[in-house]
Amino acid sequence: MTKTNTLILIEHDRQQVKRPSLHAVTAAQQLGGDYSLLLLGSAVGEMAKSLLGYGAASLLVADHAELAEPLADRYALVIADAFQKCGATTLLGTSSTFSKDILPRAAALLDAPMLTDVMTIEGNGNSFTRPINAGSMIATVQLGSERRVLSIRASAFAAPTGNTAVSPIEQLAVDAALLPNGMQFVSREERISDRPDLTEARVVVGGGRPLKDKETFDRLVGGLADALGGAIGATRAAVDTGLAPNDYQIGQTGKVIAPDLYIALGISGAIQHLAGIKDSRVIIAINKDPDAPIFQMATYALVGDVHQVVPELIEALRDRE
Amino acid sequence: MDFSWSDQQRELLDAVSRFGREQLTYEVIENDRNAVFNHDAWKKCGEFGIQGLLVPTEYGGLGQDPLTTVAALERLGYACKDNGLLFSINAHMWTAVIPLVFNGTEAQKRKFLPGLCDGTLIGGNAMSEPNSGSDAFALATTATRAGDKYILNGSKIFCTNGPIADMLVVFANVDKSRGQDGITAFLVEKGAPGFDPSHKIEKMGVRTSPMAEVFFENCEVPAENLLGKEGGGAFLFTRSMTWERGCILASAVGSMQRLLEKCIRYANERKQGGQSIGKYQLVASKIVDMKLRVESARHILYHYGWVAGHRKAVYLEAAMTKLHLADAWVKCAEDAIQIHGGYGYMTEYEVERELRDAIGAKLYSGTSEIQRNIIASLIGL
Amino acid sequence: MTQPVEKILVAFKSVPDPYEAAAPGDSGSTAKSVINPFDEIAIEEALRIRERGETSEIVGVTIGPSSIDEQVRAAMAMGVDRAIRIDDARLLDPYAVARILRGVIEKEAPQLVLMGKQAVDDDSNQVGQMLAGLLGWPQATFVSKIELLDNRTRARCTRETDAGLEVIDVNLPAIITADLRLNEPRYVSLPGLIKARKKPIDVQTCQQLGVIVEPLTRLSSTARPARRSAGTRVESVAELVIKLKEEAKVL
Repeated sequence: MTKTNTLILIEHDRQQVKRPSLHAVTAAQQLGGDYSLLLLGSAVGEMAKSLLGYGAASLLVADHAELAEPLADRYALVIADAFQKCGATTLLGTSSTFSKDILPRAAALLDAPMLTDVMTIEGNGNSFTRPINAGSMIATVQLGSERRVLSIRASAFAAPTGNTAVSPIEQLAVDAALLPNGMQFVSREERISDRPDLTEARVVVGGGRPLKDKETFDRLVGGLADALGGAIGATRAAVDTGLAPNDYQIGQTGKVIAPDLYIALGISGAIQHLAGIKDSRVIIAINKDPDAPIFQMATYALVGDVHQVVPELIEALRDRE
Repeated sequence: MDFSWSDQQRELLDAVSRFGREQLTYEVIENDRNAVFNHDAWKKCGEFGIQGLLVPTEYGGLGQDPLTTVAALERLGYACKDNGLLFSINAHMWTAVIPLVFNGTEAQKRKFLPGLCDGTLIGGNAMSEPNSGSDAFALATTATRAGDKYILNGSKIFCTNGPIADMLVVFANVDKSRGQDGITAFLVEKGAPGFDPSHKIEKMGVRTSPMAEVFFENCEVPAENLLGKEGGGAFLFTRSMTWERGCILASAVGSMQRLLEKCIRYANERKQGGQSIGKYQLVASKIVDMKLRVESARHILYHYGWVAGHRKAVYLEAAMTKLHLADAWVKCAEDAIQIHGGYGYMTEYEVERELRDAIGAKLYSGTSEIQRNIIASLIGL
Repeated sequence: MTQPVEKILVAFKSVPDPYEAAAPGDSGSTAKSVINPFDEIAIEEALRIRERGETSEIVGVTIGPSSIDEQVRAAMAMGVDRAIRIDDARLLDPYAVARILRGVIEKEAPQLVLMGKQAVDDDSNQVGQMLAGLLGWPQATFVSKIELLDNRTRARCTRETDAGLEVIDVNLPAIITADLRLNEPRYVSLPGLIKARKKPIDVQTCQQLGVIVEPLTRLSSTARPARRSAGTRVESVAELVIKLKEEAKVL
């Protein structure tokens, strides 16, 4: 197997590669040395082809029916095995519920420490910054171990530029008999949406509790998102009161986003929410309360009632076409 | 006498402070205007353990001593602006829970106390009548034994918690010829035939605590609901009132402390004539007096709590505590309005409500005049 | 006749109160401590499992100096039957914590281990998964619903993932980490507090457990992040649209 320094875990939704997981390539380039990509799943041959132009020393593919679902016990075992075989010292992934489930388990199998949500790599790749306390503080951390596992924040590392070089594919043999079977997949309930993925969208519209009911939330937040071709997000309060599903939640315990444009509707700006949006390039806040903390970090602030302002804004955006 | 808290007392009192801060800081203005009782807050207090502070643990209580209890209620009063809720809780604790603890049969205690502690049951008493207030034992309500029941007839006024109560301790005379020695206590449960507690009474303050005029028309009470013995009502009532006098204004000490802090904040923020009003000696002097009043109120309350935990006869201490705290609370509230000026008179500033809530303290569980009479007789006058 | 899970172990961490520490200008060092909110959810879930008659004992475990005993007592006041505090004042990393917890679990032999998905001070989200890896046990992370099945030999767990919800079954013993919506923890009552006084805190050391760990990560500094500055106030939708087009160029 091709030797490498950094092994990058790629995430996909069984159809295609999740774009943010490629941002780890940029992090690997900053770490220096060779990097390889690792793709696990069932019947992922087509997807593998989309990963050959990112300058990786090799693309390792573990393709087996028993890996159809990302069960942590099996995945961590296969990942740890691949890591050892390719002689890597760093296991890298992009923060998501997929990687946060699997990477720490792999770290334990590798007897290695891990850092979550790495934002910058400093000091010859031995020092890292990461947010703590809901993003209210940034910690600088060093690792005292040759082997290490890192998950990076996609919003803190650029998307890699495509490369014409073609990485070789290496198939990893998977022995189904050796896979643990203490975890069984039962079902999945995912929203089918025409809107872009929250963590990948260029424009995100977020809504808070003042949106009152689900109908209003869908009409105003959804309406504005559609007018801009954007994704929908929500505060914890909006999710807790049933205005939006939990996977729309942005913030410390939800998703961290970094779109070109974030529009906050009726969001006062709890620190946990602000932690999830602060890397957005442009932030627009529309809120009735002129003292709402979100105005402290908004690029453009409009004091007004969302119920009145948002229909106007949707109208104005339609007119522009 | 030792008012330094043990680690366990401190832990409990800190927990009460936190509970009040986190669970009882709701808005009161609307509830006060519309005379709305906060059932949810009542339930929370019950589940947290307030109503059961003094009740022995075997009946679902916490078995705390009187000093810890009044200190806990003080902290509740500091955190919670809803004096009506606290008044309802006090009425419940001193006029329903205490008589059951001291005079209930084992069966009565098992039946009522756990629910009275955990917030599922609301209690109160019915003593005052249209023609017997300060002269309480001249009551006209009668109870007649009929087989395994008593039949009650008469009416009661100023019955705190009446409209919402699940049970009331009702005082009636079983034999008028015996006068005071005929007075007997009964546990009357909601829904008893001939029992009508639905006539609400509007009042000036503690408006979030419901009050009713209560009617008994051939009201049937099972004999097992006799509380204590026939003719034991007057003693039972006196004991209940002594507890009430000592403890009912514990939460008012917390209210006073809250008012004091509010006045200090306002006096520092409000600028007139180029300086904060707290720099004017007339204002500062008023606030200093308020501070003294709060401190002396706290000390007399803790003193009562300590004495009540160490000896049986506390009539004098209870009456002094009630008298002093009622006067102090009214004066604090009045001064707080004066310091806030015109704003203090406005509903939004929540100072005028405090005065309306405080004034009743000079009337219930014995007027200030009655307390003075009691004290006078106990000091040899 | 179904058998209850004999013992649930709940791991919890003492953290600075996130609602106080997060206040602007607060250094965080003076803030009072609380049980990590996600761990509190894990404790609540254990209590509910017991209230359904599906377990007979709940053991709490935490790591830290005696100054965190207040949080240990809070856990017992919620209803944890007994608690173990591993006396260790060092700043530990998640992998060190996982290795210490492995030592406790090997001694206590619970059938189910619950903990929060992450601690809100360190925000690492690693310990449960690492522990499962070290023990070779199944794991369910980001869990918003737990149902014990098949004579309590399996747990059906609903997980909150980036894409929605996922349901998996895990054979017991297993590690389950709690997400926000698993439950709403109960308020600690005075009766609970008083009962907790009689419950023992079993203080142990890593040496007694036979676990020698050194943290492999070193925190060299913490700093406040650069703050975004407040931008422009706009007065109308029309003005906003113009700014977006001409100044920000996002339309």
